[in-house]
Amino acid sequence: MAEKPRLKVPKEAKKGDLIEIKTLLPHVMESGQRKDRDGKMIPRKIINKFVCEFNGKPVFAVDLEPAVAANPYMQFHAKVDESGTFKFSWIDDDGTVTTAEESVTVM
Amino acid sequence: MRQLSRRDALALGVSGAAITFVGLDERAFAAAKEASEQIAKFTGGMPAVSGKISIELPEIAENGNTVPLSVSVDAPMGADNYVSEILVVADGNPNPGVATFHFSPLSAKAQASTRIRLATTQNIIAVAKTSKGEFLTGQRLVKVTVGGCGG
Amino acid sequence: MTRGGILASGIATVVFMVTVFAIAGGSGALGQVTKEAPLETKGEASVRPWKRYVGWPARDESTYNTLGNVATPAAPTRPRKIAGPITGDAKKGSELVADRDRGGSCLACHVMGPAGGANLPGNIAPDLSEIGNAGREDEWLFNYIYDARVYNPETVMPPWGSHGFFNDEEINDMVAFLKTLRSPAAFKTALDDPSKRPPPVEKRENLDPIENPAMWSVDKAQELWKQAGAAGKSCQSCHASANAEFKTWAASMPKWEPRLEKVLGVEEFVTRHAKATTGADWLMESDENRAMSVYLHYLANGTPIRVDTTSPEAKAAIERGKELSARKVGQLNMACTDCHGKVANHWIRGQWLAEPKGQYDHFPTWRTSLLAIWDIRQRFQWCQVNIRADELPPDAKEYGDLELYLAAQNDGQKLSVPGIRH
Repeated sequence: MAEKPRLKVPKEAKKGDLIEIKTLLPHVMESGQRKDRDGKMIPRKIINKFVCEFNGKPVFAVDLEPAVAANPYMQFHAKVDESGTFKFSWIDDDGTVTTAEESVTVM
Repeated sequence: MRQLSRRDALALGVSGAAITFVGLDERAFAAAKEASEQIAKFTGGMPAVSGKISIELPEIAENGNTVPLSVSVDAPMGADNYVSEILVVADGNPNPGVATFHFSPLSAKAQASTRIRLATTQNIIAVAKTSKGEFLTGQRLVKVTVGGCGG
Repeated sequence: MTRGGILASGIATVVFMVTVFAIAGGSGALGQVTKEAPLETKGEASVRPWKRYVGWPARDESTYNTLGNVATPAAPTRPRKIAGPITGDAKKGSELVADRDRGGSCLACHVMGPAGGANLPGNIAPDLSEIGNAGREDEWLFNYIYDARVYNPETVMPPWGSHGFFNDEEINDMVAFLKTLRSPAAFKTALDDPSKRPPPVEKRENLDPIENPAMWSVDKAQELWKQAGAAGKSCQSCHASANAEFKTWAASMPKWEPRLEKVLGVEEFVTRHAKATTGADWLMESDENRAMSVYLHYLANGTPIRVDTTSPEAKAAIERGKELSARKVGQLNMACTDCHGKVANHWIRGQWLAEPKGQYDHFPTWRTSLLAIWDIRQRFQWCQVNIRADELPPDAKEYGDLELYLAAQNDGQKLSVPGIRH
């Protein structure tokens, strides 16, 4: 069973509210600085980009370097004027994209 | 102990971000220099005003593997003037780049937090860019705990 | 009792069957598992031969005490005679006292003026920054480093010379350095001064899945609960409602198990019970075992720890555990009660040494420095290896006695698992 990304997004908000969002992705964020048991460098493999969109519009994004800790955690805010869906994307060095979504009802 | 010449200091173009080169050993010096270069690239040599960015970090990190970091700029986020990016560098890490946060008016608040890796006690420097092309900067020292029993 | 043996045991069987029906019939009446659970009593609960974890120091410390074996040579009875004043290389001495590869370095316990850049030294032992002015004889300084037990049999100071950490020349160098220390340490920041450093306070929300990656193992355990083992059954087959049945169980562990004549902790219980029922092979320190241990503790979160301390077997085990906690082990010659008793509430380098109370309720815990979940047995093992003592396998009976003693000292503390710590 693969561990699922954790998301903290309010289910409801009032129009114009500032909401707080937290995300956590299981990922080793291999920095490329570590050596294995035989002394060989373990190649870098990290999430290098995190993107948050709301109803298709960019809200917040991060360019990540190996100095971001394993299981990358991001906390930020968003202003919602309408109901809709947040889409979160994490892009791995190898091109894999992990996505997750959360809907918000705006009253 | 290598002192920066005045010409070097101007070339780095960072008036607000004060990376101390004095008293560093070779490796630390190389990291600090690269951190300066990343900042210079980000600002294009423009001056950065200090005092408007707040950086939250523990005074002593329990270990260098996961250190909570929050950066925040007290500034409006209107469509015509908002903080568009915040660059974070760690001047003592082998690769000083940490992250670049991208904001939009929809972010509504120029604040973000994450957890970072630190190789050793060092300065974390944040440089913010606004949509009007202005730069703000701030920095904070973090001590990384030295473990008790020798591992 | 073998798996087939349950059916043959007469009255015990009847009670067992009644209990099973009562639990299966609804979460109300019984709620908690009370009858003897099937246990695999043959074999060991962890890998044999026990091999130290990859990445841990590979030292063989079999010439010194462990919690399972007494081997340490006797302490010298008198100081060594040192003829004449000591001349050594003070600069080399200043490096030796700060060298963490030599058993932790003097700075782990002592502030020593400029040594090691005065970077987060500890305050377990006296500040030596002005020892050059203290009127100490060279012979005294030499012997205190060589083997302090000749002056103080109760000392916590490791026998740096007689246990082979430093040779005579190196001790001379350190003595030469000590003789140069005549003024208080100059700290670069207030935090470097252990007398001004505030004790750490754990404020993280350890049960918040966004704060604590170990919460993913709760999800994993819930999946394992439904997974059929080699015998074709899962935990779910007998334990239909984990939430109701295990609300307090983990807080009553560890416990003396007469069938094995040892104290069983949750992890060993999981190994033996799973093997005897579902057929699953969840050895101690496997990912599955750790996830199940996290989960079984998690289900009892909020429950005050309350282990049996009154039965004759529990009393005897606790007494043994107490003795073990006071046994000096390893090349560094330390006992649990040295760090977590005699010098508790002090800084060892940049880390805080805490008392036993409050150090058990959050196990198994996430370790941020290692990105791993540690149960209490792995924690015991690391303490041993770190003070240069050979560890025992995680299911060692000595660890059971020690864990019961630790649990008894934590009576009343409420479980909060998984923890999150450095």
